[in-house]
Amino acid sequence: MIVEQPLSSRTLSRWLMPTALVGAALLSACTPYEMRHDNQSDARAQIWLSEESQVKVRAAQTRVFDTPDRHKMLQAIVTTLQDLNCKIDVLDEELGIVSAKKYVDLERPTFFDPSYILYRPDTLLFLTRNFRAWGPFYHRSDLVRLTVTVRDRNESQLIVRASVQFYLRAVEDPVPYQQFFRTLEQAVFLEGHAVD
Amino acid sequence: MNTFTMHIPLFGAGLLLAGILSLQGCAAPEVKPDLLAPTEAQMKIRSLQTRSFDLTDRNAAIRGVIASLQDLGFIIERANEGLGLVTAARFAEPNYYDVVTITVTVRQETAGKMSFRANAIYNNKPIDDPKVYQNFFAALQRALFLSQESTPSS
Repeated sequence: MIVEQPLSSRTLSRWLMPTALVGAALLSACTPYEMRHDNQSDARAQIWLSEESQVKVRAAQTRVFDTPDRHKMLQAIVTTLQDLNCKIDVLDEELGIVSAKKYVDLERPTFFDPSYILYRPDTLLFLTRNFRAWGPFYHRSDLVRLTVTVRDRNESQLIVRASVQFYLRAVEDPVPYQQFFRTLEQAVFLEGHAVD
Repeated sequence: MNTFTMHIPLFGAGLLLAGILSLQGCAAPEVKPDLLAPTEAQMKIRSLQTRSFDLTDRNAAIRGVIASLQDLGFIIERANEGLGLVTAARFAEPNYYDVVTITVTVRQETAGKMSFRANAIYNNKPIDDPKVYQNFFAALQRALFLSQESTPSS
């Protein structure tokens, strides 16, 4: 004859942890890449995405340099990006565009995350027998992308504009731009000033 | 009361715990103010990454860089003659799921001197081991067929 027993602490410990772990794996809100990012499929949402005033952001992103030498400026930009450990992706001298990217480690899985068992956290590529992709995904989120453009303002001045994206969003804080231009100024031996 | 109904509150507690666990750390990280600031470590290895060779032909210098990268098993991704930039990548030993990317720039230092700067990144971490750069410059020197001593530029 089976006697029904009340909930003992043994039963509790036997069931609670597996349920919690399986539940965490199922509910794991940090795992799918999409869940941590805004869904940008709505064009209207994209248009209103910018939170700061565009004029203010543009002023932070732009500096005027008193030199007509585009070539030297582009070289200084490349040197600066090398100083920042960036990888140059696009370089067009004629159009005056330099694009680069770098990864920063900010995110870490904060608890046991089953999806990370597959990867070593410091690698960008994982290969299995039937699946091949870039990962782990949190490194992709930590991607910093930047584009620097150089254009002539007048015969003796150049305008340099840097725009940075981090976590798929435009960086609107002026401080990173100030630091970028400080490094660039050191590389080009000139002082940049804000557009009047 | 059967065993299943008896365990329902437990499942509930487990799921609640799971929810609390899984909601941690889901927010997008804040932009660090030093996102675009050069690090001190980078400033230290800058001189290791730079070397000058007595050369006058810029085109030959860039071709030398490409040849040395090919010697080291890299695939050239981008080469720009005007600005003297070469980027290349390869899978790294011993696992071959790690990626090494390298950016090399060539700059005319003086009339008879070319300055080369190499930046290597292992996955997402910059390489700061001087030996790696020494090896690269040794390969570059071989590729350039230079016999004279190279001097690290300051």
